[in-house]
Formats: sequence, C-alpha cells, structure tokens
Amino acid sequence: MIEIKDLHKSYKMGSNSLHVLKGINFTAEEGELVAIMGSSGSGKSTLLNILGMLDGADSGEYNLDNVPIKDLNETKAAQYRNKFLGFIFQSFNLINYKSALENVALPLYYQKVNRKVRQEKALKYLEQVGLKDWATHLPSELSGGQKQRVAIARAMAAEPKVLLADEPTGALDSTTSYEVMDLIQKINDAGNTILVVTHEEDIAHMCKRIVHLKDGVIVEDKKIEQVRAAQYV
Amino acid sequence: MFDRDIWQEIFNTIRKNKLRTFLTGFSVGWAIFILVMLLASVNGMENGFVGQFNDDATNTIFIRPGVTSKAYAGFEAGRRIQLDNDDLEYVRQSFPDDIEYISGRYYTNTTARYKSETGAYPVQGVHPEFQIIEKTIVISGRYFNETDFTNKAKVAVIGKKVAEDLFGKEDPVGKFAEFNGLPFRVIGIFTDEGDDNAERRIYAPLSTYQRLYGNTNIINQIALTYNPTYDLTKALDFSERLEILMKRRQKVSPEDQSGINVWNYAEAFDDISSFTTVLKAIGIVVAFLILIAGIVGIGNIMVFTIKERTKEFGVRKALGARPKQIVNLVLLESTFITTLSGFVGLLFAWVILSLIGPTIETPAFSSPSVRSSTVITATIILIIAGVLAGLLPAIKAANVKPIVALSDK
Repeated sequence: MIEIKDLHKSYKMGSNSLHVLKGINFTAEEGELVAIMGSSGSGKSTLLNILGMLDGADSGEYNLDNVPIKDLNETKAAQYRNKFLGFIFQSFNLINYKSALENVALPLYYQKVNRKVRQEKALKYLEQVGLKDWATHLPSELSGGQKQRVAIARAMAAEPKVLLADEPTGALDSTTSYEVMDLIQKINDAGNTILVVTHEEDIAHMCKRIVHLKDGVIVEDKKIEQVRAAQYV
Repeated sequence: MFDRDIWQEIFNTIRKNKLRTFLTGFSVGWAIFILVMLLASVNGMENGFVGQFNDDATNTIFIRPGVTSKAYAGFEAGRRIQLDNDDLEYVRQSFPDDIEYISGRYYTNTTARYKSETGAYPVQGVHPEFQIIEKTIVISGRYFNETDFTNKAKVAVIGKKVAEDLFGKEDPVGKFAEFNGLPFRVIGIFTDEGDDNAERRIYAPLSTYQRLYGNTNIINQIALTYNPTYDLTKALDFSERLEILMKRRQKVSPEDQSGINVWNYAEAFDDISSFTTVLKAIGIVVAFLILIAGIVGIGNIMVFTIKERTKEFGVRKALGARPKQIVNLVLLESTFITTLSGFVGLLFAWVILSLIGPTIETPAFSSPSVRSSTVITATIILIIAGVLAGLLPAIKAANVKPIVALSDK
C-alpha cells in the first residue's frame, strides 16, 4: 500500500540546512496498523507530512497504492489527498461553525458527491463512531473524545486508502484515549490501513507494528502483539 | 458559482460572524451612499441650471442691434443700428436651410385696463412663430396666427398673472381689454416655466404694434431658431455666418462687438453643460476615492479574516479542497458582502432622495434623483470592488500551506 525508498528531506534554517530525514525505507501493507514513534525532532512529523502529501520530499521514491507521488502541483495534491488519505489530527481541526454532520460531509463535498448522498454517508459514518444523535451539534458542544470521533468519521467519509493519525490521543485523557484507540482498532479490524504517529508507549502498543525513528532514520521496525484497547474502556 | 453548497457555506460564515460582516459591509455601503448622493446632487444642480434655461428653445439665436463702437465704411463710431422688417426678410431668405423659425420682437409697455382693474405691463410685438421660439405654453384660448398677423388684428395673448390681476375670477378669453386706451381682444392665456415675471407679459402681433406706433417697420430684435439637427459646431458656424452677413448689411466693422450682437444659446448652453460635466466628474472622482477607501477596508478585514481562518483553510486543503475552490469561496464571500451592502447603501440613498428630493425646488437645485444608469453603474462597480477586495486575500488563503496551518505550535 505504502512504499518509501531512500527518502531525504532537509529544511533550510537561515544559512544552515537541517537534514531531517536521512534515507527512510518503509513499506506498509494493506490492513496494517502501524505506530510511528520517536522523540521530538526525530523526523516523525516530517515523515507524516510527506506521507500526507502536505510536504514534498527532496529525493527518494514514494508510491501510494502503486501511484507514484512526485512533483504534484497544488490541485493534483488536493485531488490525491482527497482520494487516498484521511487525516486525524491531535487538535481535531473540526470547522467550528459547521455541525458534526457537515464536518463529516466536507471531504465528500470536495469529491463532488451530491448533497443527499453526502448527508446519508456522513450520517452512516457518524453512526459508526457512535455519534448519530450528535449530528446537528457544533464542535463546541462536544467533548474532546467526541470531537476526535467526529474527526475520525470525517477522515473515513471519503473512504481513503490510508488513514493518517497525528498524535490522535495527544489532547485527550487516558480513558478517552483508549476509547479513541478502540475505535481506531475496530476500523483497522475492518481492513483499513492506518498509520499512527505517537510518542506514547501504551498507545503504540495498541498497534500491530512499531516503527522507531531517531535522528531521521528508522532504528527499529518490529511487529508486536496488539494490546486491545477495549479492555480498558 | 450557483452551487447551493457554496452559498450555504457563505451564509453560514456570515451568520457566524455578524459583527465582522456588518463592519465589512458598512464601509462599502457608506461609499455607495455617498456616490449616489453626490451624483444626485450634481444631477439636481444640472436640473436647476437647465430649468432656468429651458424657458426658451435651446437652439435659439438673438440678433440685437446696438451702438457702433468703431468707425467703419465712412461712418463714425456711435451710430445707432436699427433693424426693420426688411432685415428680417433678408435673414429669412439668406439662410433658408439653417433657419427653423424666425420672429421679430418689438418691445413696449402698456397700461392695461379691464373694468376697474388697471396695471402696467411690458408688451412684445412678435410673429406667430415666436410661440415656438419662446416655448410659450397657451393654457386657455389660442396664440395669434398668420391671419391675425396679416390683418394687423388687435388681439393679445396675456400671461397668467396678467389674467389674474385684471380679470380676477372671470375668464378673459374673448373679452376686450384696453391697452393704452385701445381695445384689444384677449384670445389666449399663457403660462411660463421660467418665473412669475414672464407671466406678467403680453404678446401681440408685431404688425399690429408697428401700425399703432406710427406705421413704423422697426423691430428691436430678431429671434430665430436654427435647424434642430445642428450640433454645436454647426450652430456656432451658422451664428458666425449670420453675424458677418448682418454686419456687412448694416455696415458695421467685423471687429465691432457692440454694433450688432448675435447671441447664440448654444454657446451659453455649452458653458453650462461643460460646467455640470466637470461637477459630475468631480463628484464621481470623489465618490470613487471614498469607494477605494471602502474597498481597502474590506480587503483589510478580509486579510484579517483569512488569518483567523488559516487553520480552516488548511483543514479544507487537507481534506481535498483545490486552491481554486478556496479562492472561489473567499471571492464569492467578499463580492456577496460588497454587493449586498452596496445595495443597502443604494437603497438608503434612494429612500432619502425620494423623501426629500421633490421638496427641494430652488432655482439652482431641483429634483435631485438617481438615474437607472447610475444604479447599473454602481452595481457593476460593486461587483468589481468585491472581486478586487477579495482577490489578494483569496490568493493568500489559497496559498495557505496545510502543514503550517495545521501545526499546533
């Protein structure tokens, strides 16, 4: 599903250039649930941004579902993001003046799905995350955990190939974190490929594979025995 | 553009940011309000000026004899020039294609009496065609005609004020009044848009008066209208030819301005039109400058809005919004706000104008109004203004890097 070969990325910091990713090689199969771990400055966010087509690599190859991702203009990148990827952010990033349902329907809007179908689909995904009754509520009326569940529903609404979660539990208390991880596990059980960036060990262990990043290279990549979040909920 | 979802988004944004929208719209609404009021004021001034002149046909030329100021052709300076019926006929026959109507004018005063009422009024002996030249509106009875003129009939057309003064509530038409002791039959009453003084005047056939005053053939002035299809250049050219001819005939030096004076309305009218045109231009420029301030105001608020919504645009882009869609969203929003608030300003100005406009009626300023062309122009300006105001912020919004927008730092 995801294939990365010898990926390099550096940032210009005044006259110096900061080499953030120093040759990453990584593959993920369909249906995997991968945790990307590392301390701050390890390059995990940069890797996620490149995976999410929010940023371009300097050199190296990136294939997503056998489509080479290279030299995309803004319009093309937007199209690919919409088609291939679903984003889950640490701070949810819901649009605050839109109801939960409208937020979930937004990616479908950009896919030019017609209004009625959009509403139906959005409602279906809200139901999957257990928030059907909250469809008409604004984000400000929802708890942190509920907001993240709406964000997950939104990420899934466009039926992307890969879900990218950047510290999805970073802003949540541990009980709520486990609830969210439980949801992510269930989505993964249904066959979706998910990448989770986190620095929390317990969260990482709820995935099926942990990739450790340090100073811009992968220092460890291991399959693990998944801890089910459901037992803590 | 006619996508229901985009509009829903825009209404949503506006509803969630009422104060911001109001402040944004106010500057443009205000600018349009001032634009319309300024244009209407200039329009009112123009109406006022034109109103003072439309008393007469605007293609009128007057030939007025005077006293020569230069010695010429063997004559000394200081000679009084007199026009007579032959001059009039000569002019008429010299310019058959240029002249539309022509009339002589003979000025005198009379003491008019009807029963016990008397009054002193200026009398003008004129040709029947003078009715058209002076745009005299007969409200009762009729003007005198060629037959009256040829018969040197003692008939008179009196002004409305004269009729009120002498006849009170009686209908003057058909009655006889004494002018300096001679009975004249009143055949018509006229009104005049100019002013009250014009209605305290009496018109009678020129021929009648020439006979009454010792069988003279003198006329004090020749009034004529030229071919109405003439533009300003042609009109001025004609009045020059006329002047040369008259001066040659009366042996007045071509440089002598006081011997014969040919006065062309077109010149005066041209002066006034260029004056109001300049006024209008100033009005438009001032209003435009204010409008630019309004646009900058909107642009300013839009920039601020974009900054506030950076994260939102980042999210939208991450969810697959193309740059063009972001530009559209911002542009439509700013155009919508500008147009709507502009129309509110327009409506406001229109309401004020229709309330107070008709009550203002002074010589220099009358019935200020908004023309439909003004409304259409303003609308176009508004849409352009909206696009201009939103363009830079929209491009800025579209260039938001999702990665920057979404970083939590």
